[in-house]
Amino acid sequence: MTASQLMIEARGVEKWYPNGFHALRGVDLSVSKGEVVVIMGPSGSGKSTFIRTFNALEEFQAGSISVDGIALSNDLRNIDAIRCETGMVFQQFNLFPHLTVLQNLCLAPVLVRKRRRAEVERQAMALLERVGIAEQAAKYPGQLSGGQQQRVAIARSLCMEPRILLFDEPTSALDPEMVGEVLEVMKALAADGMTMVVVTHEMGFAREVAHRVVLMSEGRIVEEAPPEIFFTNPQHERSRQFLAQIL
Amino acid sequence: MKAADSLLASLRRELFASRSDGVISVGLLVLIGAAVAGLLRWAFGQAQWVVIQANTTLFALGRYPLEQQWRIWLLVALLAMATGLSWGLLRANPRADRSGVLWPGNDRIAVAVLAFLAAWGPAALGLALPLQLRWWAITALLLILRWASGRWGRRLPAGLLRWVPLIWPLLYLLGMVLISGGLGLIQVPPSEWGGLLLTVLMASFAILASFPIGVLMALGRRSELPLLRWGSVLYIEFIRGAPLITLLFLGQNILGFLLPGGLAPDRVWRAAWVLTFFCGAYVAEAVRAGLASVPGGQQEAARSLGLSVPQALQHVVLPQALRIALPATVGQFISLLQDTTLLSLIGLLELLGTARTVMANPEFLGKNAEVYLTLAVLFWCCCAALGLGSRALERRLDPSNTPA
Repeated sequence: MTASQLMIEARGVEKWYPNGFHALRGVDLSVSKGEVVVIMGPSGSGKSTFIRTFNALEEFQAGSISVDGIALSNDLRNIDAIRCETGMVFQQFNLFPHLTVLQNLCLAPVLVRKRRRAEVERQAMALLERVGIAEQAAKYPGQLSGGQQQRVAIARSLCMEPRILLFDEPTSALDPEMVGEVLEVMKALAADGMTMVVVTHEMGFAREVAHRVVLMSEGRIVEEAPPEIFFTNPQHERSRQFLAQIL
Repeated sequence: MKAADSLLASLRRELFASRSDGVISVGLLVLIGAAVAGLLRWAFGQAQWVVIQANTTLFALGRYPLEQQWRIWLLVALLAMATGLSWGLLRANPRADRSGVLWPGNDRIAVAVLAFLAAWGPAALGLALPLQLRWWAITALLLILRWASGRWGRRLPAGLLRWVPLIWPLLYLLGMVLISGGLGLIQVPPSEWGGLLLTVLMASFAILASFPIGVLMALGRRSELPLLRWGSVLYIEFIRGAPLITLLFLGQNILGFLLPGGLAPDRVWRAAWVLTFFCGAYVAEAVRAGLASVPGGQQEAARSLGLSVPQALQHVVLPQALRIALPATVGQFISLLQDTTLLSLIGLLELLGTARTVMANPEFLGKNAEVYLTLAVLFWCCCAALGLGSRALERRLDPSNTPA
């Protein structure tokens, strides 16, 4: 693995919340180009906090993270550069309710990348086509189902043409019958070679799509293995307990 | 008529559900009927409206020079045209038709009463014929422009439509020139403005200027910079902790000490600035509530897409926060409009001040009821118009109000 292929490199990341809670206790993770890494773990294990440090939504106090070769520091230009290259999909979708679906997609490319609106709109329509909701482009997010909203959120991230996509429990807020349509979109993205870090509890997705599964517990990574090994022959007692609970 | 039937039925159910309900209903209806009858008998029999007829100009403009009054008429005509144009274009633009209903619910009653007063008021008060004609001509102008722009507004190019809202700030500047003079017009100093003119001028100035102040203070109060936050808190809490009348007196006295003679604004503008800063503190609290109601995920989503903090604020957080803050903010503006009556206590001749000078005139002694009733109706009209506008805007901005 050469250095140019490394998309995310985290070394010894430590994080304390202002209330003193030690959320991340020296976490290391490397993600190379085109890789799909699924992070699992019980709630409170720090997995969401960890993924949110990658685009500086959370600060960290010690260690280092570099994303696409750019070191995360307090330098705001670096943070803005990284945020342009990393898309993030949230559990609660976080679509902008006062804008139509199409406006949701076009806002950032026009404002941040300074691209021409007509050109961005063409690309946005193509992306909506790809996630299967082009006919909803003129509607407002509040008029869509949860699954449709999450697909719009994915398309909104893609419209910035990111090199990495971060997913923070993308299906946890969805009704069960809508989980499938979102996972389908994510599988298609993985098949296209997108670099993805996914925090999720979806076993099927992890088994089928992930190149590596990472288990976090109490702010540490306890196990890191390809899915076929992780699900059948985990090495650590903590992993066996976790799998016993969710399987 | 099915609708009438159901209205009758629901009235019967509401008023005469049981025997005791019936007794209470009849008793109250008799009381209300007697009061209304008494009011009507007084208004059309005993009341002497000559006190209003003789002082129309005074109530409208105060001591504004007679030969310069055409400027005010011109301004009113321009305002009517701008209103008609904007109103019609809003209705022509498909976004406005989201809900389909122009004036839902109780708004219809308010619109009907306003229209009735506009059409019948001048005649009922027995105003001079030229005044009545001018009034109706301006109303007709408004309605014709509203109708025409509603009919043809859709065909205008979208690029042009975007600039239409600009006529309002331009008109405001033009209005200030028309009222106060300059650019070749004779100067009319603020001390000669009065009546409804002064009331509307003070209120509209304070409304327009207090809104940006309020938004900035609300943002300052949520800022992470301690100096900014404490400055905003100090300002908001100081203003909200003092009665307006105290601040008005303070403003009249203190601005003279603070600024050297020539720089201190004259009495009218001092009062306007006090009103502005007073209203700004309350607007700040309304906007703060709006900001607090926007979920943190919105800011996070905007930032993770690469938007800067100001961009996220301008395009994502503020549009949502201001929509939520709109009803409370307009409520504040309505009470500001009513608070302008306090200016009479510091000697300005706005509506109430003018009324007091009229009632002090020996010729019209004891005509207080006529004067106060007229004032109340005038204020109601202004506040009702503000409320109607704000509710229409609320409906227009509500994303859940879109036909599927």
